[in-house]
Amino acid sequence: MSNLLDFLRKYHHWLLFVFLEVVSVVLLFKYNSYQGSAWLSSANVAVGKVYELESDVTSFFSMTRANEELTLRNFYLERQVDQLRRLYTEATHDTTVTERQELQFLSQYKLIPAKVVANTVHKPDNLMTIDKGAADGVEVNMGVASGNGVVGVVYLVSDHYSIVIPALNTSMSRISCSIRNSNYFGYLHWSGGDPAIAYLEDVPRHARFKKGEWVVTSGYSSIFPSGVLVGQIEKVFNSADGLSYKLQLRLSTDFGCLRDVCVISDKRVAEQAKLLEAARDSMALTNRDR
Amino acid sequence: MSVEFFKRLGWFVILCVAQVLILNHIHLFDIAIPLLYVYFTITFHRGTPKWMILLWSFALGLAIDVFSNTPGLASGSMTLIAAIQPYLLELFVPRDSAENLDASIQSLGIGKFMIFSAILLVIYCLVFFAVEAFSFYNWQYWLACAGASSLLTFVLMMAIESVRKK
Repeated sequence: MSNLLDFLRKYHHWLLFVFLEVVSVVLLFKYNSYQGSAWLSSANVAVGKVYELESDVTSFFSMTRANEELTLRNFYLERQVDQLRRLYTEATHDTTVTERQELQFLSQYKLIPAKVVANTVHKPDNLMTIDKGAADGVEVNMGVASGNGVVGVVYLVSDHYSIVIPALNTSMSRISCSIRNSNYFGYLHWSGGDPAIAYLEDVPRHARFKKGEWVVTSGYSSIFPSGVLVGQIEKVFNSADGLSYKLQLRLSTDFGCLRDVCVISDKRVAEQAKLLEAARDSMALTNRDR
Repeated sequence: MSVEFFKRLGWFVILCVAQVLILNHIHLFDIAIPLLYVYFTITFHRGTPKWMILLWSFALGLAIDVFSNTPGLASGSMTLIAAIQPYLLELFVPRDSAENLDASIQSLGIGKFMIFSAILLVIYCLVFFAVEAFSFYNWQYWLACAGASSLLTFVLMMAIESVRKK
């Protein structure tokens, strides 16, 4: 017994060393299945606060450029709306119907404005923290977009902060997109490297499109409404198995200087998801009965 | 004891804040990240209880981890070099030197201090990037990251150390 005590007295720091290493390794592996560990990441309130202060300071310096971009975009959209409204009125001879429709369309979505407080673009699996959480109505699997286009999907929510998986995440981001005028769809995949370039995969071989055409969200995934900008087609490749096209896109969102985003909360998503669930259940039931 | 403690706490906060707010954003040539917080472990003076070095270093590693969303990565690597530091320092101290000799340029001489800190730093960077990559990258990239980051951190550390000397 006294030998054991002697041993412990002499080598207690090695025991401590092993203990601390075990704690680290446990943390390391727990992080890989990462749900529930929000308190040890930047969704933690204290950490979020520090990053918020930092982003307040830095956003001040990038404000001018963001402003310019938004003004341009706003101008462009306004002109587009105007043109469409005129065309519609010409076609239907009804001047009030468009406004009614617009209001109806917008009332379906609730937009929660948020600020990006921490963001990376150079890792293979980037994450982004925003300063709105469950208390502001953000839920897991809501879409996030900026004025210039799609950003990502909410992954983890704490009371006042959330972690978003941006489109720049090689392993976890799959956003369903379609080509604007032809409606052929595929999913968005980023393969690391340049944060301005991503790929649209699984586009069918018979799809017809041109370089420079816009790719937008398809609205199938019920995370994003249809028509949120994603990027412009730059190059066309064959997929590895030769069964589909792989399109290289220039993303319209500049992830490197992202500040203001909004979380899109769609009231009908829950309903849609429930329906899909019911369909799957009934299919499983039919298969079992056979 | 308490003066020493508050000095340590001061370094802890300064290095943590500097790392999180400034140095983590520096990616020179996409491979070199200055990991200045290793300096914290390197400067423990001779005769500090080993458990104390371990706990301090683990705590700093964990603080950095929490801020950069990598639980376990820096804390594990920091604990490892904290275990090595007292033994390595023993090899470099001159004969008949004080029990509580500082690990600094002043007390060890510039050459010895450089070798001493470079060894710890290279070990740290190798372990850190190996654990971070974890079968994701190829080994050339790993070596490039570790080498470039060690070099960058070393330069920074020497700059701080030479300013502190005065």
